[in-house]
Amino acid sequence: MNSKRLEISRLFHRFGFGPRPGEYAQAVKNGVDSTRTNLVTVPEIDLGAARVLDPVITDLGQRPAPNSKEIVPFAIAMRFQSQQLILWWLDRMALSDHGLTERMTWFWHGHWATSIDKLNYPLPMFKQNKVFRAHALGNFNTMTKAMLNDGALQFWLDGQDSTVKAPNENLGRELMELFVLGVNRYTEDDVKAIARALTGYQVVRSNGNVTINQNRRDSKPVVLLGKTAVFNGDSLADFLVSRDDCAQFISERLWYRFISSSEDMTSDFAAKASFADRSIASAVTAMATDSSMSDSRYSLVKSPVEWFISACRALELTPSKLSTPGQLTSYLDKLSQVPFSPPNVGGWPAGEAWLSSATAQYRIAFATWLIKQSDLSVIKNIAPSARVSKSADWLGIPEWTPRTQNALRASISDPAQFVLLALCSPEYIVSA
Amino acid sequence: MDTLSRRKFLKLTSGAAAVGVASNFLSLDQIAQAAIDRPLAAGTPILVVVTLYGGNDGLNTVIPYKDPVYFSSRPDISYKAETMLPLDAELALNPNMAGIKGLWDQKKVAIIRGVGYPKPDHSHFSSMAKWQTASPERHISSGWLGRWLDSQPEDPMVAISLGSVLPPMLAGSKISGSALPLGGLVIPKGALATQCIQLSKAARTDSKLMAAAATSMRNLFNVSTNIQPILKMPAPVATDLPTVNGGNAGGDSNLSQQLDVVAKLISAGSPTKVWSVSLGGFDTHANEANAQAELLGVVSVSLTRFMSQLKSTSRSNDVTIMIYSEFGRRVKGNASQGTDHGTAGPMFLIGEKIKGGFYGDQPSLSKLIDGDLAVTTDFRDVYATVLESVLQSPAEQTLGKWAGRTDFLTKV
Repeated sequence: MNSKRLEISRLFHRFGFGPRPGEYAQAVKNGVDSTRTNLVTVPEIDLGAARVLDPVITDLGQRPAPNSKEIVPFAIAMRFQSQQLILWWLDRMALSDHGLTERMTWFWHGHWATSIDKLNYPLPMFKQNKVFRAHALGNFNTMTKAMLNDGALQFWLDGQDSTVKAPNENLGRELMELFVLGVNRYTEDDVKAIARALTGYQVVRSNGNVTINQNRRDSKPVVLLGKTAVFNGDSLADFLVSRDDCAQFISERLWYRFISSSEDMTSDFAAKASFADRSIASAVTAMATDSSMSDSRYSLVKSPVEWFISACRALELTPSKLSTPGQLTSYLDKLSQVPFSPPNVGGWPAGEAWLSSATAQYRIAFATWLIKQSDLSVIKNIAPSARVSKSADWLGIPEWTPRTQNALRASISDPAQFVLLALCSPEYIVSA
Repeated sequence: MDTLSRRKFLKLTSGAAAVGVASNFLSLDQIAQAAIDRPLAAGTPILVVVTLYGGNDGLNTVIPYKDPVYFSSRPDISYKAETMLPLDAELALNPNMAGIKGLWDQKKVAIIRGVGYPKPDHSHFSSMAKWQTASPERHISSGWLGRWLDSQPEDPMVAISLGSVLPPMLAGSKISGSALPLGGLVIPKGALATQCIQLSKAARTDSKLMAAAATSMRNLFNVSTNIQPILKMPAPVATDLPTVNGGNAGGDSNLSQQLDVVAKLISAGSPTKVWSVSLGGFDTHANEANAQAELLGVVSVSLTRFMSQLKSTSRSNDVTIMIYSEFGRRVKGNASQGTDHGTAGPMFLIGEKIKGGFYGDQPSLSKLIDGDLAVTTDFRDVYATVLESVLQSPAEQTLGKWAGRTDFLTKV
């Protein structure tokens, strides 16, 4: 496989949500270095993203009693706003001119995986999403502090119920295991200690506002990972994030989501050293330059949302304008990936988990539905005889296998079937 | 399946065609034929694995109802003794598990107490990975039933998981199980089908993951051809349960829908030896008593109904159900009327051939290890017995050399 085409394909599909028509061919002309610099340099202004207006998400207040008169408008507003929230984010992913910010926001959503299914209010999830975006390429220590003050995360992991009388270990354990250090890099005694250090948070569920109730706080010193101290949220973040295990863990997670979910991280993976000052941007840039990026062993399955957004970009479709939004979320749900609803605090699965016979079927149904809403001019404007060869550039694929070329060639006079097969091909489902 | 039921089968599926669900009459016959071509041989044992995700609180499932320490450790989340369903002088079932209590009374339920593995891990993900890979000591990527699949002839029908994401348990190194979403699979037709099948062929330059993507497309055609018509049949009748408003008492739940599909497919003779179903939501850090009772109610009602449905088929003696969760929960309650992640918990094995009763020792509430129950039975003892006695395969190829067994099955 041509390594230049491979690396540029990976840059588009992994550091963004895939190319728009024409972008990949142009990038191949420009070369790897120029493409990489473009993709990892966030511009001051993103006109595409700016076209997506923020949704109106309000504090819906306390849930009215069941069977009361007020419950109906409440439930309607809840459902409408939750849907607007999902469409807003999908639009940002599909319409941004520069993909990296939304791509990293998506990464952090899977990292600090919080589900609206427990919150049951859209506003805290909206606020959390803005925290992810604000820190997407910022400093990880600052992000961790912001996340400890994030109402959605606190509520999701029962922080609001954790008191000096009976600390709840949920948030503390996951903070070490899934967010900052990685599993088994602490003891069960550390879990008990960190739970005490994190007591006292209180959350207004409907709006995500966080306060600290000193009466519920355990203000005695704890012994955490060998250090005896009275921690608060900020000092706890400082302490955990400064540990070597944090750099190891975050680079492992970057590797898992950007390089390979099935092969182990290499010992010299460049993201780790570049994370020394906890700069996420440095780690991401180093990762984009790492030798693994041109190593053909490290293919990666696109998750359903990644696959859907890249198809929207290729077909120049706007998610919120698809008919209907309810059908859109239903397709995403069938593929088991709806934004704001990760399956659990560990985030979305990866790799072969997305490659079952069931997902194969839903992908076909989903793509069929999408294609009906596109005028397909992007393919119709190519002469039939050139469709097979030019479609690899259109979708940002390094090369079609002979297998897929045969299927596409048999469909050159049927643009809808041609596009369907291209979108459902192994070469498009998997980032080579 | 005999010819009479095959005709019935075709009638049902062509009925579906009339309302536009399927449009190709000719291939219906072929599809039906394919599903009937190689039914599971009569008497072949079938395993149904029920995974309870989130860490089911074993102490509020099989409750030491005479132990004052139980009540004092969790005053906010213990049940009232008089509502529990006593199994013997020391242990009682959760008040919402009347159905399983009924099966227990019929000696069809084995409860393995204190099940876990060495050096318990309190992380959902690590602990579930240990259970599903059956490798608590070192991380491996294949699942225990996936490794069993590796030893079987390749056939996407042998192990099927309900739902669209395949659990790691069914991922082998060479062969993986299939996923079947509720509602079944819709298979492309005509020219598109021909080209989809072309896409599912292996290509020389495929990476491992691209090859897996191609295989998933191939399995779609294999599995859906065989299963789709059967899904359109009504579920087997639960012969001995009262019917309320057209459905059996207890109401619907996702688990009961999953088990409905399994019952239909077992009844139709699907060549499937392992089924996987699941229910989530057991991570009861807060407000546990009601939430967990509701979930256990779903488990109890769905499985009782499933057992009853099987009675109207010829397969009821062949099915063994295994229920597990990634860990139990801390003995002492927390401030949120919930419990944090713990260690050992009970496993349930249910079936006509089960030797009902308790196995393994009940972990003591007064001899805790760091606030947690001691593990008294290794889950690999149970797996080894399941592999040998249910799946009739050597345990060693899946578990390595493992000596422990749990004798919960009547020898044939």
